[in-house]
Amino acid sequence: MSTHAATAPAALPSESSTSSCAGKALVVGIAGIVLTIIGLFISGGKTVAFSWLTGMTFWTAIAIGMLMLVMIHHILDSSWSVVLRRQYEHGLAAFPWLALLFVPLVVVSWMGDHDLLWKWMNPNYDLGSGHTVGHDPLYVKKASFLNLPMFTAMTALCFIVWIWLSARLRKASFTQDADGDLKWTFMNRKTAAFGLILGATTLTLASIYWVKSLDYHWFSTMFGVWFFANCARGALSVGVLMLLWLYARGDLKGVLNTNHLHSAGMLVFAFTVFWAYITFSQYFLIWNANIPEETFWYNLREITKAGEPSQWKYVGMFLLFGHFLLPFLYLLSYKNKIVHSRIKPICIWILFVIAVDMIYNIAPAVKDYVTGEPLPFLSMNLLWTATSIVGIGGVCLWAYLKSFTTTKLIPIRDPRINECLTHHE
Amino acid sequence: MAAKPYGLIATFDTTPAVYHAAEKVRDAGYKNWDCITPFPIHGLDKAMGVKRSHVPKFSLLGGIIGFTAGMSLIYWSSAIDYPLIVGGKPYFSPLFAFPVSYELTILFTAFATIIGMFVLNRLPMHYHPVLKSSKILSGMDDKFHIVVEASDPKFNLAHTKALLEQAGGKDIQELEA
Repeated sequence: MSTHAATAPAALPSESSTSSCAGKALVVGIAGIVLTIIGLFISGGKTVAFSWLTGMTFWTAIAIGMLMLVMIHHILDSSWSVVLRRQYEHGLAAFPWLALLFVPLVVVSWMGDHDLLWKWMNPNYDLGSGHTVGHDPLYVKKASFLNLPMFTAMTALCFIVWIWLSARLRKASFTQDADGDLKWTFMNRKTAAFGLILGATTLTLASIYWVKSLDYHWFSTMFGVWFFANCARGALSVGVLMLLWLYARGDLKGVLNTNHLHSAGMLVFAFTVFWAYITFSQYFLIWNANIPEETFWYNLREITKAGEPSQWKYVGMFLLFGHFLLPFLYLLSYKNKIVHSRIKPICIWILFVIAVDMIYNIAPAVKDYVTGEPLPFLSMNLLWTATSIVGIGGVCLWAYLKSFTTTKLIPIRDPRINECLTHHE
Repeated sequence: MAAKPYGLIATFDTTPAVYHAAEKVRDAGYKNWDCITPFPIHGLDKAMGVKRSHVPKFSLLGGIIGFTAGMSLIYWSSAIDYPLIVGGKPYFSPLFAFPVSYELTILFTAFATIIGMFVLNRLPMHYHPVLKSSKILSGMDDKFHIVVEASDPKFNLAHTKALLEQAGGKDIQELEA
């Protein structure tokens, strides 16, 4: 075992300071949160609450993606991604903070009429057709699943599972740095075996409760998978950006080679196709079956009540080309996956379009009080979504950087570290 | 022996030896030459100056043909040759043509990749002059070889032999054409 540490060219503790970066990230995070709070007084609680939900969903998705990728790494006994895995393990430090930042959304749901975000939480909510939610058969059938105590318990359960799994994976990996004991690798493999099932279940539950149930009439069996596609793709893009940042800082010089980037880039490409496959399938099945309970969801995102195309139609087209076609064609090229200055912009672009995808799925649930139409894409909503994403992102980045200094830069005693450092095609 | 040999074969005992010798042959500007090793040596492509494969170009072409074939197949059959309304849908929509086009993209890409690979590596090859030499046996066991072909524009029996010797090659022999 000792040879591993001896041959690792960068077996150095990550002493190089990230604390100044962490401080800056926290300042940015708090600034974003303060701006979002100011938004409460400008646009009102409802708009800002939806924006906050979008920001929460975006960053939680990336954290979930990291969790799933770490577990996939362990269950497959991968070697190439050992270096990348350590960065994900640091990223998982964001989960407790994400849970804390989600609390306001649960609290406002328990206050007042309970329908600030999820209208099904209020049985007296007027659906506009003379019926209330409590008398809506489509709600009554789902009432044992969609109710406030269940929502609260499930959301809490999801976060507890994610925090617990993260803590297990992190502890085993970090302890192995010190003692080099193989039992930690086996422990992580076992964690991954049941953790992947728990992770898949909880991320599906979270996506249904947080996002899909905003329009609780709607059915889509693809929804959890759609969410997972964004989780994994977002986490991979963030992972590549972490590696590039550490390389540019000098930490990963001699550690990161082009084949690591090629492998990571191929996964980003694979999940680009996977996202398109899932998203297209969801649209195609609904379009083909043409059942009103399902098509209304896309009608809301395409036309106004008068039948005119709305802004959301163009957002949908933007997603089709920006979320799929552009990254797909770009990432076909080998060079675009391995040259740092070429893979970086596409990873940033992918994170941007994932945010737009989240907005597309969440924001049209906010209806105009007068017309009952979804608020347009270009509204104050968008501004507060941006501040929410910056605010929550700053806190996540701070948690990552805080964790970064607590252990080695790479898992120097992982049994696969040598294979990773000499990763080749 | 024939007037002109197929090429020269040099033997090396260790992986580093053949690796560094390959770098020297590459730097001397040879093009038609190869290494024979019992197992894959990582990084040898680079040491030999071998560029990335051209197979992806075949794959891309196959993919484009497949996608176009799928779209035009559905378009021609359902909108032109036998227009039929199914399920209240238009005669043609890229939406319902997509699954077929997508599958054909994958199928044609796979075909083009396999065919492209065989075209480029010229397999199956039933005969190769190196097979006549007894060296090929050790090349599949515990020795490493470099073969420089006489068809290379830079090939010169004396000079090439000197280069291989200088690069550490042992037991340099001429190969029968």
